[in-house]
Amino acid sequence: MLRLFTFTIMVLAAVVLVTGLGIVAARVLRQVRQRKRAALAAGPRRALLAFVADHGEQGSHDLVAIPEDAWAAAAPGALGLLGKLRGDAHAALVSVFLRRGTARAALRDLRSRSRVRRSRAAQVLGDLEVRQAVPELCRLLTDRHGEVRVVAVRALGRIGDPTAAWRLITSLDQSDPVPSLLVTHTLVQLGPDAEVTLSAALDHPQARVRAVCLDALGLLGAAGSVGRVARVLREDAVLDVRVAAAANLGRLGARSAIEPLTGALTPARPAPLRAAAARALGDLGAPAAVPALAALLGDGEYRVAHAAAHALRRLGRTGQEALRFVLATEADEMAAAGRGSHASPSSAASHAREALALAALSAGSGSGFGSGSSSGFAAVAGQVAVGA
Amino acid sequence: MSAILLVEDDPDIRHLVAYKLTKSGFDVTEAADGPAGLRQAEQHPPDLVILDVRMPRMSGLEVCRELRGRPGTATVPIIMLTAGTLPEDLEQAYAAGASEYVAKPFSPRELQERVESALARVGS
Repeated sequence: MLRLFTFTIMVLAAVVLVTGLGIVAARVLRQVRQRKRAALAAGPRRALLAFVADHGEQGSHDLVAIPEDAWAAAAPGALGLLGKLRGDAHAALVSVFLRRGTARAALRDLRSRSRVRRSRAAQVLGDLEVRQAVPELCRLLTDRHGEVRVVAVRALGRIGDPTAAWRLITSLDQSDPVPSLLVTHTLVQLGPDAEVTLSAALDHPQARVRAVCLDALGLLGAAGSVGRVARVLREDAVLDVRVAAAANLGRLGARSAIEPLTGALTPARPAPLRAAAARALGDLGAPAAVPALAALLGDGEYRVAHAAAHALRRLGRTGQEALRFVLATEADEMAAAGRGSHASPSSAASHAREALALAALSAGSGSGFGSGSSSGFAAVAGQVAVGA
Repeated sequence: MSAILLVEDDPDIRHLVAYKLTKSGFDVTEAADGPAGLRQAEQHPPDLVILDVRMPRMSGLEVCRELRGRPGTATVPIIMLTAGTLPEDLEQAYAAGASEYVAKPFSPRELQERVESALARVGS
């Protein structure tokens, strides 16, 4: 029994020893390989950095002539550099990769059975901004692996070809889509030429797709789409989409957005939409919206009144005069009723006071509220009354 | 010859910028992180500092504040080099005492021009 126990212990000790030696040997081997690789990459890396720093004016032939093993060791670092540079330096680096056939190899790898190779190839083609790869990258938007789809979306953004817009938009309409924010960012990278496609996609049956297109249009500042976005604001069946339409009308910064946004403030509309419309009017920076916003300060829905007060704050002098006007009017009414300063202020006055306090903090002074002229707001209110 | 302190943790970017500026006639000292950059600034007071924002151990913003608190570097131009391009990133950089801000991806040529104009403004 004792011999069996001793034998088992010895076998276990031998296994532990062999495993330990194996681990040490593997680590040493990996370090030796890494050092060898680093030594091999050092020459090409120096030459590449000098070439890039000189804007590719000299040395491209030397780089193209670097032996394949040395280039393979230096290429990952150089590819990493692509994403950190722009201008002449980026173009110089891209030209070297193209001349060495990196794009051709990456295009082949887009159809590899390995998802790692497909992802890597998509990233390389994006970094090299190879337009020729757009159709194949679009095909990867339906890849069965999520990480490949994400890399393909990013690559399409870097290439910036607006012909990819529709495929990007429809890629959202699948069971496991790429994150909406990433697609929005990529659609914006496609530039103003994607506006027509984005605008057309506002009729897409999926609410998520419509919301992403609205965000992209807003971030692009696509002022030509105000009419279509306003129609979504009025007619879309999904509240979240209507809220997104309101927010993005504010980003578009067009005067023609004032009317649909003001229309969305009416009490019959849902509170989240009214609050979003109030915020958007603040974003627009249009003093013409001051009377409509001021009328909301006493709204029964806290978020609507709060959004209106802060929109008025962001409208600058005229908006802040409207806020002071509310405070001054209430102070006068309290004085006339013989109520002291300890009386509870109305919710409109509370919202106005909070917004003015924030304005004073932002301006770096403590004298933002409770005083000053309200003539500007009175003038705007008067103009509206005359207009009506 | 103006002395430039370059604090950047990415060796490729550091070597690229150092090569470019050295070739243009600047005396460039390199540091791979914030504490090393602060030590270099103490030993060889620079005429201008190029500072990466996102670095391990100590962020570029902290280094910038530290440099601004020292008599030798309180007024030298500091150019922040970073991937962050949001308005908050800019505000933080300027609040920390940065003179200029270059966003990554960046153009080495543009960085060199920004260095030259910053130095020309202070007469170095």
